[in-house]
Amino acid sequence: MIRVAAIDELPPGARRLVQAGQRTIGVYNVGGTYVAVLNACPHELAPICLGRVDGTTLPSKPGEWRWGREGEILVCPWHGWEFDLLNGGRCLTDPRALRTYPVEIRDGAVWVAE
Amino acid sequence: MRESIIDTDIHPAANPKHIAEFLPQPWRARWEMGNMGSPPLGYWNPNGVRRVDAIGPDGAPIASDPVHLSKLFFDPYGIEYGIFLTEPHQVLLTPEPDFAAAVASAINDVMIQRWLPVDARFRIAMHVSPVDPALAAREIHRVGDTPGVAAVMLPSGARMAYGDRYYDPIYQAACEHHLPVCMHPGTEGAGISGAPTSAGYPGSYFEWHTGLVSSFITHLVSLLAQGTFQKFPGLTFVLVEGGVSWIPPVLWRMDKNWKGLRKSVPWLDRLPSEIAREHIRMTTQPIEEPDRPGALQDMLGMFDAAKMLMFSSDFPHWDGDTPDFAGRHFKGELRRRVMSETAREVYRLPPPAGD
Repeated sequence: MIRVAAIDELPPGARRLVQAGQRTIGVYNVGGTYVAVLNACPHELAPICLGRVDGTTLPSKPGEWRWGREGEILVCPWHGWEFDLLNGGRCLTDPRALRTYPVEIRDGAVWVAE
Repeated sequence: MRESIIDTDIHPAANPKHIAEFLPQPWRARWEMGNMGSPPLGYWNPNGVRRVDAIGPDGAPIASDPVHLSKLFFDPYGIEYGIFLTEPHQVLLTPEPDFAAAVASAINDVMIQRWLPVDARFRIAMHVSPVDPALAAREIHRVGDTPGVAAVMLPSGARMAYGDRYYDPIYQAACEHHLPVCMHPGTEGAGISGAPTSAGYPGSYFEWHTGLVSSFITHLVSLLAQGTFQKFPGLTFVLVEGGVSWIPPVLWRMDKNWKGLRKSVPWLDRLPSEIAREHIRMTTQPIEEPDRPGALQDMLGMFDAAKMLMFSSDFPHWDGDTPDFAGRHFKGELRRRVMSETAREVYRLPPPAGD
C-alpha cells in the first residue's frame, strides 16, 4: 500500500497524484468517496489525471438540457472522453474503462493498493 | 536506428503581437485596435480546441513558443521534420482582400524570422488568402523559395470549390516554386466561406466537425473534375485532417460516373482515381477508429495508401493522434511510407541522416 495523504489533506473535490514505480496513480475524493485511477487514458494513453473533474449533460430528449454528476466525471485532456469516477472508471461513450485501484482509510490517512 | 517520423500537420500559434510587428499601416493600427478580421463561427467544443495539457513548465502553451515546441514535442516524439499549419486560419477568409493578404504575409514573416531559425526540423506551409488569388500568387513569389517554406496552405472553408479556375493563379505560383498545396479544415462557415454544409448550418460543433468531410469531398471532386491537374501537372494537393476512410468510395463513384459522363469532362483522359493517385495526398489524423480493427486494414487496401497517405498528429488540437497511436495501423514498408517517406517526397525534405 502507498500512503496518499492524511484524510484532511484530501477533502471532497481534491486530487493527489502518487508514484507507484513507473506508474502514476491519481487519487480523487469524489464527495467523500475515494477513487484511485491509473494516470493513463485507455484510448491513447494520455495523462488523464491532468484532465478536469466536471459535471456533464445527462441523457435527455432532443432539445432538452440537464446538467448533473457535478464533480464525478473525469474528462481526458486530449480527446474529451468522459469517465465516471463513481462507477469503476467506466467511459460514458466507449467500452474501455480507466484502470482503478483499491483505496483504504487507515490510521487517519488514505492509502492506495498498487 | 530510430524510426523516421515526419509530421505533416502541426499547429503553432503565431503571437498576435508579433504579427502586428510585420503588418504595414493601416492594418497594424486596425490589428492593435483588436479587429483581427473574421472570427470563427463560434460552435462550442466542450474540450476547447487546444489540448489543455499542452502547456510548458512556465505555463505558456507549447504551441505558442518555438523552443517549447522543439523540446516538448519534437524531441520526445522523435519528429524528424514537422510541417507547420500556423494559426490563425480564419483571418484568411476575411472579406477585405488586401487586409487578408497582409495578415497572411505578416504570419509568414513571423514564422520565417522568429520560428524557422530555432530548429532545423521546422518547416512551414505558408499562408495565403484565397480571397484574391492574384495576391496569393504574389505572396508565393515573395517567400516561396525561402528555405524552410515547404508548402502553401489553403483553408477548406471557401466561397467556391478549389477546382474552380478562379484559383488557378495560386496553383500556377505553387508549381513554379515546387510547393505542394495543403488544404486544412476548420474555417467552414467563417468569413466569406459558404455555409459549412450544402444544406446550411449544423446545430452543434459535433455535427459541424463530423460534416467537415463533406467540404473535403466537394473540393476533391471539384479539383479532379475541373481539370486542375491537367492544367498543373506538377501540382500535388494535400488533404490535411480530412479523414481517410471516405476516399475509396468517393473515388469509386467518380470512376463509375466518368465511364458514362466523360463527354462532359473531356480533359479527363483517365480514371479520376488514377489522377488522384498521382496528385492527391492525405494525412492520417483523425484516423477513423472502427469497432472492428480489421475494417481499417481492409480500407487501407482500397487505395494506394503507400503512395497517398502521410502521418499527421494535429498537435496540439483536441482530436490529435500520437505517432505510436497512428503508426500501429501500418506494418512494414507501408509504415515507412506513411510515417516518413511519402512526406519526404511531397515536401522535398532531405534524406534521413546516415543515408
